[in-house]
Amino acid sequence: MSLTGHSAVVHRLVVAAPDPGTPDSPPAALSTAVSAVLDAFGRTGRLPVRTVVYVGAPATDHALPAGHESLPVRTTPTEGRALRLAHRELLDGTADLAFVAGFGSPDPGKVTVYAVKRAAEAVADGDAVHGVLHLTDSGTDIRTDSDSDIGTGETGTGDRGTDGHAPGDHDTPPAIHPLCHGRDTACPGRHRLLLWSGRDEDDEARVRAELLPLLADEHTEAFPYLPTPRPNGAGPATGPGPVRAAVVTDARQAAAGVASAKTVTARAPRPVALLFPGQGSQHAAMAAGLYRREPVFTAAVDAALSHMGQDGPRIREDWLTTGTPHIGIDDVRRAQPLLFAVDYALGRMVLGWGVRPVALLGHSAGELVAATLAGVMSLADAAGMVMARVREAVKIPPGGMLAVGASAARVRPYLDHDVALAAVNANQQVMLAGSVPALAEVRARLTADHITVVTVPATSPFHSPAMAPASDALEKEYGAVPFREPALPLYSGYTGTLMSAEDARSPRFWARQVTDTVHFLPALDELLAAEDVLLVEAGPRQTLTAFARRHRAVRLRASAALPLLPAKPGPAETDRRSVLNAAAGLWTEGHDLNAQALSRLWTWTGTTD
Amino acid sequence: MTTQITVTLADLTRMLRESAGEEEGVDLDGDVLNTTFIDLGYDSLALLQVIGLIQREYGITIPDDAVADAETPGALLALVNASGATTD
Repeated sequence: MSLTGHSAVVHRLVVAAPDPGTPDSPPAALSTAVSAVLDAFGRTGRLPVRTVVYVGAPATDHALPAGHESLPVRTTPTEGRALRLAHRELLDGTADLAFVAGFGSPDPGKVTVYAVKRAAEAVADGDAVHGVLHLTDSGTDIRTDSDSDIGTGETGTGDRGTDGHAPGDHDTPPAIHPLCHGRDTACPGRHRLLLWSGRDEDDEARVRAELLPLLADEHTEAFPYLPTPRPNGAGPATGPGPVRAAVVTDARQAAAGVASAKTVTARAPRPVALLFPGQGSQHAAMAAGLYRREPVFTAAVDAALSHMGQDGPRIREDWLTTGTPHIGIDDVRRAQPLLFAVDYALGRMVLGWGVRPVALLGHSAGELVAATLAGVMSLADAAGMVMARVREAVKIPPGGMLAVGASAARVRPYLDHDVALAAVNANQQVMLAGSVPALAEVRARLTADHITVVTVPATSPFHSPAMAPASDALEKEYGAVPFREPALPLYSGYTGTLMSAEDARSPRFWARQVTDTVHFLPALDELLAAEDVLLVEAGPRQTLTAFARRHRAVRLRASAALPLLPAKPGPAETDRRSVLNAAAGLWTEGHDLNAQALSRLWTWTGTTD
Repeated sequence: MTTQITVTLADLTRMLRESAGEEEGVDLDGDVLNTTFIDLGYDSLALLQVIGLIQREYGITIPDDAVADAETPGALLALVNASGATTD
């Protein structure tokens, strides 16, 4: 089933109802209950901006509070109605997280409390999903197997119709069914990651010698399920050892691969910083080898596209088609939404492995992905911002972008009011943007002076003053977005430094990104100066990895760069192997990864819908 | 009269450094010959710059698809030196 259109219960527990007090003051009891719900779920971390409390409690004559602890509260007569309302408001975007409290459930004197999210986001966020509410998009109970379409966020709000089994019964809580997302399709022919470690070199050799017989032909069927061996003599509480090795292989090549694998002695691992590429890195079917092959990536792409309205399904169709797409990938209407979805989903996948990044940096449109993962805006708002950007960009006379092999100082004399410095990428690489004829002229002058120029696949002159009308329109539109300060160190290409809380909350800051120069190199300088890190590029191609590898800090091996995806487009299998190799790189660096989450890369297959 | 051109690894390394705008002391050592350009941090634009430098310095012409074909410095040197690139 597709997860979109469903609501997932990510926590459920039963608490004792608070003392009802006098019959005259049920609102006080409700307030106490809402506080109890919040306590039950913990107040650690930040709640989403659109967190709503739904109370299912018998009506009283008293006015109930419409808000509590700065959260909106909706009161309905029953637990069933509260859950249905929560589901509807999750799907129409009113709520991003619903706390539901069913009073008198399962017994009088008890309250059943739920935390409910949109199912695709729950999976993408790595929540332990208790189950999905057995309801359709519109909040009525499911009668058939036909799962709903992609949630467009445009569900109507009229009467919800009736339940097929018990007409008009909206009071009984809906069934909670197990989350059904893809299936186990492990097979020995799929490439997997084999990881092992030892306390020292001798121990590693012993562990390897014990692993080898398990890879013999007669054990092929067990190959996908082989666990990560622990160092010898290590108890269950002992983690992996520092002498590490990794192999990406199918069953047939496994023994040879393990026998010849090199070891790395991991010291204290450098923490991870995530990089998100923007326009120019896109290619047809980018990262599609992971779609329906890795559950978190798949759910995160679906979640991002589900917030793009009617365009979501079309964008996905054009992405996955083996034929000619309706709109080409380099068109701003495909490049930007898909880069956003793919970068975001790759970031979520890496977080799902247990990686906790210490810094985030996105290039151009990638900055919105970094900001989303830093909690500056909700996924829904970010997707809406991308679509607004696209809508405004197509109104601008078409233009283009060039990548130039020279420093900013060197190209400055070639610029005029029609061609602007769009980005500073590396010591000897900048991007220019402008109208097509003006760019052609500048290109001819640069080439005549022996400066290397290549065309960036783009249909809009992003990061140039020509985008000013788009920026003005976006500033108005972004005014309605509830921004928050970053919860993680977030480096900005627009200021070339850490994003301030003030910038993060400024609609103008976000709107100006379409007109202003991207100072990627200065931002990377700052990031690498703050700490030695392992830069992981969460996006297609290896554009930012190449910039990073030309950076002094990476050249000197103080920091390193690790791309998730191949440098060039290739068959779907190369996407998966590339991701496995990146995970191997994190392991040999010394990071301990969630083995079960990783194993989905070779045991899981999603269903088509 | 034409002269057969030979570009050495030392020449290529110098041009790789120059096109990346590197300072001294940075690491282009080790098995550079067999390391892919992308692992060295040279994307297609950076590689085109290097090829442009070689062409100007030696007065030779290298076909554009050399960028796609030559994935390592070793392969690029082989391609340049075996192509019978000449100067007159």
